[in-house]
Amino acid sequence: MNLVAAQIVNGLAIGMLYAVMALGLSIIKGLLNVPNFAHGALFAVGAYVCYTLSTIGAPFAVALIGAFSGAALLGFLIERFGIANLTGGSYLLQVLFLFGTALVIEQILVLIYGTTGVSLVPPAMLGGAMDLGFMFLPRYLVFCALVGAFSIVAVWLLIEKTRIGSSIRAGIERREMVQCLGIDIGTLLTLGFALGAGMAGLAGGIALPLLGANATSGNDMMAIAFVVLVLGGLGSLYGAVAAGILIGVAQSLTTLVAPSASTLLIYVIMTVVLLIGPKGLFGER
Amino acid sequence: MNKNLLALAAVVLLAVVAPMVIPISIANEIIVIAIFAMATNLVIGVAGLYSFGQAMFFGAGAYLTGYSLTAGGLSLVPSILIAIAGAAALAGIVGAVIIRRSGFYFMMLTFAFNQMAFYVVLVWSGVTGGEDGMAGIKRAPVGGLDLNDRSVFYAFCAVLFVASYVILRQIKKSPLGLVLEAAKENPRRMASLGYSVHGAQLAAFMISGAFAGLAGSLYVLLYRFVPIDSISWIMSGNVVFMVVIGGMSSMVGPIMGAAVFVWLQGLFSLLWAQWALLFGLFIIFVVFTLRGGLIELFKRVARIRRAGEAHHG
Amino acid sequence: MAEPVTVLEAIELTKRFGKNTVVDGVSLKFPEGRLHAILGPNGAGKTTLFNLLTKDYPVDGGEILLRGERVTRLRPHQISRRGVGRSYQITSVLRELTFFENVWLASYRADHAGAPGLWRDFRAHWATAEKTRQVLAELGLEPFTDRKAADVSYGDQRLLEIAVTLATRPEILLLDEPTSGLSQRESERVKQLILSIKGKFTIIMIEHKMNVVMDISDDVTVMNRGKVIASGSPAQISTDAAVRSAYFGL
Repeated sequence: MNLVAAQIVNGLAIGMLYAVMALGLSIIKGLLNVPNFAHGALFAVGAYVCYTLSTIGAPFAVALIGAFSGAALLGFLIERFGIANLTGGSYLLQVLFLFGTALVIEQILVLIYGTTGVSLVPPAMLGGAMDLGFMFLPRYLVFCALVGAFSIVAVWLLIEKTRIGSSIRAGIERREMVQCLGIDIGTLLTLGFALGAGMAGLAGGIALPLLGANATSGNDMMAIAFVVLVLGGLGSLYGAVAAGILIGVAQSLTTLVAPSASTLLIYVIMTVVLLIGPKGLFGER
Repeated sequence: MNKNLLALAAVVLLAVVAPMVIPISIANEIIVIAIFAMATNLVIGVAGLYSFGQAMFFGAGAYLTGYSLTAGGLSLVPSILIAIAGAAALAGIVGAVIIRRSGFYFMMLTFAFNQMAFYVVLVWSGVTGGEDGMAGIKRAPVGGLDLNDRSVFYAFCAVLFVASYVILRQIKKSPLGLVLEAAKENPRRMASLGYSVHGAQLAAFMISGAFAGLAGSLYVLLYRFVPIDSISWIMSGNVVFMVVIGGMSSMVGPIMGAAVFVWLQGLFSLLWAQWALLFGLFIIFVVFTLRGGLIELFKRVARIRRAGEAHHG
Repeated sequence: MAEPVTVLEAIELTKRFGKNTVVDGVSLKFPEGRLHAILGPNGAGKTTLFNLLTKDYPVDGGEILLRGERVTRLRPHQISRRGVGRSYQITSVLRELTFFENVWLASYRADHAGAPGLWRDFRAHWATAEKTRQVLAELGLEPFTDRKAADVSYGDQRLLEIAVTLATRPEILLLDEPTSGLSQRESERVKQLILSIKGKFTIIMIEHKMNVVMDISDDVTVMNRGKVIASGSPAQISTDAAVRSAYFGL
């Protein structure tokens, strides 16, 4: 029972990470309609920024903000100087550009930090576990879930309650309306991409004390985020959040019975949903 | 018809001349990777299915051959055949699950499945060697041919390369090829004519998987080693890159793309251990050059995209 | 005269988009060999009805019977293979392909029941190529044989659209506004073409141009807001009060 409860908490924490990653992808998909193949690299960037800031003595909160900002800034540059110049052309060129960018980012990280990877002990106040009487709850997991939930709520507030957010929403739902609102669509796409990238970076930062990081560790996260987006995000910005949490919990619970199968489980769920779920192509969705 | 013969002659000539002007090992890698690129062009260029998981089939061929030759104790030809059949079967299974998804989702799903395959190989290290790859592969003689001789092995690959070219080109010009081209533009119309669009696309996906498997198999024989990179998503991205730079309108384009890729990879790795960084920069550079240069390529893909968008609304 | 056989029948067909019911419990019988026109103002649900009959859209309610067989759950290509050919209102010819290739694809499907061949060059399927040329000749489109569809006038694309539909050799022909966007002369050409094939097929046609409808059709159904409001001969329809108020806005 304790084990199950612990795994559920663990799953919630991991699931929140997936949700943060997938929500970022979902925003980018909605605005630019490209699969962001640099999302994993941006995740790694977030992790390393968080690591670097922590090692030079910055408080963990600052390190997390740095993780978000660093990745967001990179995202800003990628969109403004890359994708924005490739519109009106081939879809494949945009995707290849993101692929090339991912390679470059990963390799630069290897160049700076080497291939061995890094890890971080969570700050003292987040370390250890709380005794709930019937189980021990690692504090960092709770923190992880809370920060994930908090950032999702923040994005929700940003999109639903602010002017720039409503433009982003309009950009996703009806592109032509944005011009009527008097907002430059180019700026909007750049900001949207930066926001999505920042969320990948934030996920990387949060995940660092939990999973460690190396230059390519974002790719697994990216693959899972893609799956989460497909499962939950068909047409909805927030469906990805629910799917992310669901996948996280399901995966965590599987580790109780078959630890090595837990990642595979994600793909099994995806396959089942794709097979029995709504069908595409001719409107049967 | 003459044009066909001319192109075939050029491909044969290329296979014959290449080892004379560049190191044979590089030439050999080019023709092997070219099979992979041509296979990928069938799904990307002909069928308009943007697969970012082609390495899963290349890797399946590679690991199946590696396993068959070492632990399986099979001889060479059956090992290659198993690689082809296994990769095609994998493509059939993956394709059956995802072929109804289009555009954006198809891209993400092919990538996700690729990552799953990578994960399986990584975790199942008892069989696959995990991160270290699979070593100890020997080229057993085939019908009296000593494949350990570099020239003989090259000739063996070259024959398969030319055969792959001929087969894939025929498929491109066949009724199936035309159905795929048409479905790329307007899948709904093709269905209303009575074609099973998904059926045709699945067939293309499997054929592509089979040839990718063959390429993976030959790659392993060439280096007598299965690197885990052979199944990584970077390999999937690279092959898309080859197809795009070579051009998608014919099967000769991907051959050119493969040649450029292999040659550059060799060059960059001589320059710097961090060659992947240079390669990434090169991809970005090319993407921006293509934007202005190959206008025709552009228009073509833009139209495909428009058709896709109109379709998904 | 014996009652003609019903080849296609819609029973209480319904389609909703969100809260809008676009086709609302439509029941229609289409007898064999007749030319049946469907009239109605924009947004009446005519094209959606076609999309249901060909299963381009999934059906939300009701049934479709094809020669008495329930086909409501089939996919579009399966409906097509049972002899239902269709042209689209928005020209759906394959713009990147030539006239020959467009018609060839339709002829090949009619010739060839299984999966498409994957070895012989499609042009070297001689029998199909011959039939393709015949269809092009019948519609006077020979001069365009090797032209890309994107490169010709809209009127010629409309004719190609019909040629493609005919080349599938259907028994039931669904024509969605075959004369839309055509000049007087061009639509006269299409009208003559339809007259020339009338009787050989069961034709169901959506059409706006009253003169075309009244001149050539045997039966007329009028739809408004997703419902059938009148059915009858052209003469009956032109005097029907409900039709006049809905369609002519009088």
